[in-house]
Amino acid sequence: MVEFAQWLQATPLSITVQSVKWIIPLLQSVHILMIGVVFVSILMIALRVLGKVREDESFADVWARFAPWMWSGIVVMALTGVVLVIGEPVREFSSTSFWIKMVLLLTGVACVVVFSRAAWSTGANAGGAGFSGGARSAAVVTVVLWLAIIFLGRAIAYDVEVWGSLSLSAAS
Amino acid sequence: MDTPALVQAIQASAISEWMRGSLKSLPVIEAVHVMAIAVVFGTILIVDLRLLGFPDTKRSFTRTSDELLRWTWSAFAIAVVTGALMFAANASTYYVNAMFRWKLVALLCAGVNMAVFQLVTNRTVAGWDRNVPTPPAGRVAGALSILLWVTVIFLGRGIGFTKGYDFAVPEDAEMDLEYLQ
Repeated sequence: MVEFAQWLQATPLSITVQSVKWIIPLLQSVHILMIGVVFVSILMIALRVLGKVREDESFADVWARFAPWMWSGIVVMALTGVVLVIGEPVREFSSTSFWIKMVLLLTGVACVVVFSRAAWSTGANAGGAGFSGGARSAAVVTVVLWLAIIFLGRAIAYDVEVWGSLSLSAAS
Repeated sequence: MDTPALVQAIQASAISEWMRGSLKSLPVIEAVHVMAIAVVFGTILIVDLRLLGFPDTKRSFTRTSDELLRWTWSAFAIAVVTGALMFAANASTYYVNAMFRWKLVALLCAGVNMAVFQLVTNRTVAGWDRNVPTPPAGRVAGALSILLWVTVIFLGRGIGFTKGYDFAVPEDAEMDLEYLQ
């Protein structure tokens, strides 16, 4: 993995990202904007399940309003994230936070799919009965998981401070 | 540039000392700042897009706006507290940083834009709350708000790349200065 990171870091694309000074700040800013879009889209869907917002609309309407934003935001986040990794592969791959973030990211997307399906099958309509306890718990877990993903993203820059001896960069 | 006594006093304060001395506090506070920004920007975007008629005008503007307001304000309060802590840790370098200064200007503009909307345009909301296009003043407020908050986020991220150098960055300097104290 270290060799792969070093190879990637020496590719022309990586060198371009490293040397053109506005690329990384621009991509990081777009990445943060998308965190806002994605996290709040998930929050709105979760809060609808918990009965805190948009109770005048059916779950299907809330899903139709926010899911396209969530998925589009995730795609833009992934694209900007990939280019950021290409720009600093050694730093990212030697960060414990980065790898945990990747695992949680897959889990986070899976959670959204699972709990939205559970919510669909409960079939809540506008002003209808509430959701099952399972769907509610899944909504809370999904939001907490995405907060953890945001934390780990910021923690990549502070791997040793956050993880101490568990930091991959401390080991190497 | 002259650093006023107030900024020096903040930098010398106990809370500032604690921020610099505690290695774990900075990543946690920065991460909470990002989470708060995400909620502020995302919820405001929903309201602004509704002003612009997206996805449609079927849902009451007041309802859309009111149910999100508490989330926006709570998150904004958290962003202000975490932002103030980050400022306190390195007050003198933030104070002279151009990105930081422009960010405050953009935040002020966003606040004025919102105040004008609340005090003037929103007074006629009964006439356009649903199924009617928002009046031009409301649409301008929505578009301006999106533009200003995007600017705030870009400038905020820019602080991390210029802090301590104030744009006069030497050609061969390491740009990401998050470790700079």
